[in-house]
Amino acid sequence: MALKDSSVTRMRWSRRHFLAATLLAPLAGACSGRRGARRDPGGVLTVSTEQQASWVRNFNPLLAPGNIRWPTRAGIYEPLFIYDTINGKLVPWLSTGATWSPDKRTLHCALRPGVTWSDGQPFTADDVVFTFEILGRHKALDLFGVWSFLDDIRARGADEVLFSLKKQYVPGLVYLGHQPIVPRHLWRDVKDPVTFTNERPVATGPFTEITVFQNQVYELGRNPRYWQPGKPALRGLRFPAYPGNDQATLALLHGEVDWAGNFVPDVERIFVARDPAHHHYWFPLVGGTVMLYPNAARAPLSDERVRKAISMSIDRALLVKVAMYGYTRPADATGLHDGYARFRSPEAAAVGDWITHDVARAGRLLDEAGYPRRADGLRASADGAPLTLDVHVVTGWSDWIRAAQIIAQGLRALGVTSAARAYDFSAFFEKLQKGAFDLSLGWSSDEPTPYHFYRDLMGTATLRPLGDPAARNWHRFGSEEADALLAEFEGAADEREEMRLSHALERLFATRAPVIPLFPNPSWAAFNTRHFEGFPSARDPYAKPSPYSAPECLLVLTRLTPRGA
Amino acid sequence: MRYLLRQLGLYVLAAWASLTLNFIVPRLAPGDPASAMFARYKGQLQPEALAALREAFGFTGGPLHEQYASYLAHLFRGDLGVSVAYFPAKVTDVLGMGLGWTALLTGSSVVVAFALGSLLGVIAAWRRGGAFDTTLPPLLVFLGAFPYFWLAMMLLYGFGFTLDVLPLRHAYDDTLAPSLSFSFLASVAEHLLLPATSIVLASVGGWMLSMRSSMIGVLAEDYVTMAHAKGLSPLRIMFHYAARNALLPNVTGFGMALGFVLGGSLLTEIVFSYPGQGYLLVQAVRSQDYPLMQGIFLTITMAVLAANFLVDVLYVWLDPRTRGR
Repeated sequence: MALKDSSVTRMRWSRRHFLAATLLAPLAGACSGRRGARRDPGGVLTVSTEQQASWVRNFNPLLAPGNIRWPTRAGIYEPLFIYDTINGKLVPWLSTGATWSPDKRTLHCALRPGVTWSDGQPFTADDVVFTFEILGRHKALDLFGVWSFLDDIRARGADEVLFSLKKQYVPGLVYLGHQPIVPRHLWRDVKDPVTFTNERPVATGPFTEITVFQNQVYELGRNPRYWQPGKPALRGLRFPAYPGNDQATLALLHGEVDWAGNFVPDVERIFVARDPAHHHYWFPLVGGTVMLYPNAARAPLSDERVRKAISMSIDRALLVKVAMYGYTRPADATGLHDGYARFRSPEAAAVGDWITHDVARAGRLLDEAGYPRRADGLRASADGAPLTLDVHVVTGWSDWIRAAQIIAQGLRALGVTSAARAYDFSAFFEKLQKGAFDLSLGWSSDEPTPYHFYRDLMGTATLRPLGDPAARNWHRFGSEEADALLAEFEGAADEREEMRLSHALERLFATRAPVIPLFPNPSWAAFNTRHFEGFPSARDPYAKPSPYSAPECLLVLTRLTPRGA
Repeated sequence: MRYLLRQLGLYVLAAWASLTLNFIVPRLAPGDPASAMFARYKGQLQPEALAALREAFGFTGGPLHEQYASYLAHLFRGDLGVSVAYFPAKVTDVLGMGLGWTALLTGSSVVVAFALGSLLGVIAAWRRGGAFDTTLPPLLVFLGAFPYFWLAMMLLYGFGFTLDVLPLRHAYDDTLAPSLSFSFLASVAEHLLLPATSIVLASVGGWMLSMRSSMIGVLAEDYVTMAHAKGLSPLRIMFHYAARNALLPNVTGFGMALGFVLGGSLLTEIVFSYPGQGYLLVQAVRSQDYPLMQGIFLTITMAVLAANFLVDVLYVWLDPRTRGR
């Protein structure tokens, strides 16, 4: 009995200590001072781009982003060329220049002399050939589908590579150019490059050393043998794991992140106003145009007049303000975003008079097309039932959901029954690919020339019947006129020629309204310049500013410098 | 003993049923991992990459019963396959990353909430109608009515962001490497404080109320009056006569709660960027990562069953009546 009594006292004693400990812990934290005020980073740039709760070690540059840690594809490894979207030019990188043969079937690519891998071995044409051969052997790694147009690749000497194409295909240059190159002397021993996690990368890029790798953070150090003398000026890169947008934004506001690629709501007030001297952002409209896809394989959207009427029922100014926080502008009738600005023809844009908000004209167009208002004010379809067009969106993509609601509202004003329908992405995407929709929101191709953009919107090459999954051209609109222009584009001799063809495609687009452009997407990028400088900005627009824009992020990584260095 | 054996048999049946559900349910969802991965890039990947991804993930398809047979066979060998979201990492490796942290966070908060709540319940019932009993239960129930992630966000905003005295995220300081040093363990404790407090605050009220009500029932029993009459000390009556008997329903609840520990407190982990199991589950669902989902559900199922079995054993010890059967 006495023993039991003492156990009660012991329990009480330890409980008191436990309470004291819990009360003291926050005080101990308070004594250690403000923790948010970050110590001098010592030249190590903190980047927030991938959103993960813990990091898995994988530096295989042949896999898709998301499975591998940023910046494996462009930062640790490097491509031959980098297409600079903002200035519309090809920046030579591991290659010093490429020329087409007169018949445009062979690409001669000169390699940069004096480049070495981070283990000291020289970088040669054999590495390039070897890399493309891996892609040919493993379809899972051919992310750009280069072997669909590539016939053969050969090395000529140590510093020239010859790509032979199956057909004329000038727009393919950028896919060949953007492929990260791996070292043959190490990778030829890799049994399965698809499951290889490449924990200790040997590469040509500015950051090749993995100095820290833990589940919450990893750090990269600079390549001691980088081919650009004196670069990179940064001592390293640091990546804390933020599981979502809210956590990433919080860290950004707290001054813990120097370069962030996430969406920040109301950025002027919540981010810039906290420290106007150092908090900056630049959201250029080069992130691809968001479209409303009308299914042209189904009535009534096969009728061009109906598509134009729908477009005119949309209040784009309101949509941009409500759905996109005013971060973008309404699209014009060419659908081109600002990355294609030099291709955009004002005359073509003027042809598309169906892009402005005009309910009265939209109504007249629908009357004309044979969808008159019934006595109850609703429009009748061919069989007399009310005309119903729902808008498909993705669950949780709140900007798109707001946009779809505004579109549905515009359609209802026109007398068309409409609602925004949100589906889980997989279901949404399956319906989109199989053509099981009337109206659906969607993104559009975002590639260097308008060739791919218009091919996917108007060409017949990617057209599939309803029910068959289509990788592109989900709205199933094909025009032979567009095909002819696109074929010419594939063999275009120079930029002037490309310009002429692009203008013709734009005019065709503005006349036919195959899809309904809504707004160009911004490329998200926020910067803290307290410790680093040299970020791209509207005043110094040398590259797309978002870290996730590979391979353009290489241009930024090699330009940034620690402040005062 | 027969009682325990019978229970064990039941658990084997339950395990099989949940493993089968675990196999079927993810396959009823539309879409596939490749297109889910595609979704995260909102058009920044070429459509060609989709075909490449499907190839990489190796969708063999095959008839459902064959998939089921190989699923069970692999399970017995402890091979949970390759994760898609973290391709090409093995599911067992991915699970290993989060399991420990979740067990620490949720486990410690469940134990603290259970102990604290039961203790407060005993005291409240003992001094029924007193100042303590009239103020604390309503206050704790009020706190418990808030969604626990909301409490988590408030704590994060107050102590982490505005006052800046406690860390905003993660399980330990990023500048430290995991080790058994004092500074590392202190950092783990510091990082544990806010998330654990938010879970304890939200759940302690429930423990307290159930303990209080069953304690009140026990206090009306004759043997308690008898103990008073014998002149035993109040503390002794409170803990050894009343609380021990009143604890039984709470122990059942504790077993359940302990079982769900490995499921993690999903939203708390997300708010504090805690590298545990909860976020892995979200990621797995988002990416349609069947192997990872199955792995996570498997650990949760096993934990729930094991915890329940443990409670059964505990009952045998706490309640002599079960031994007779």
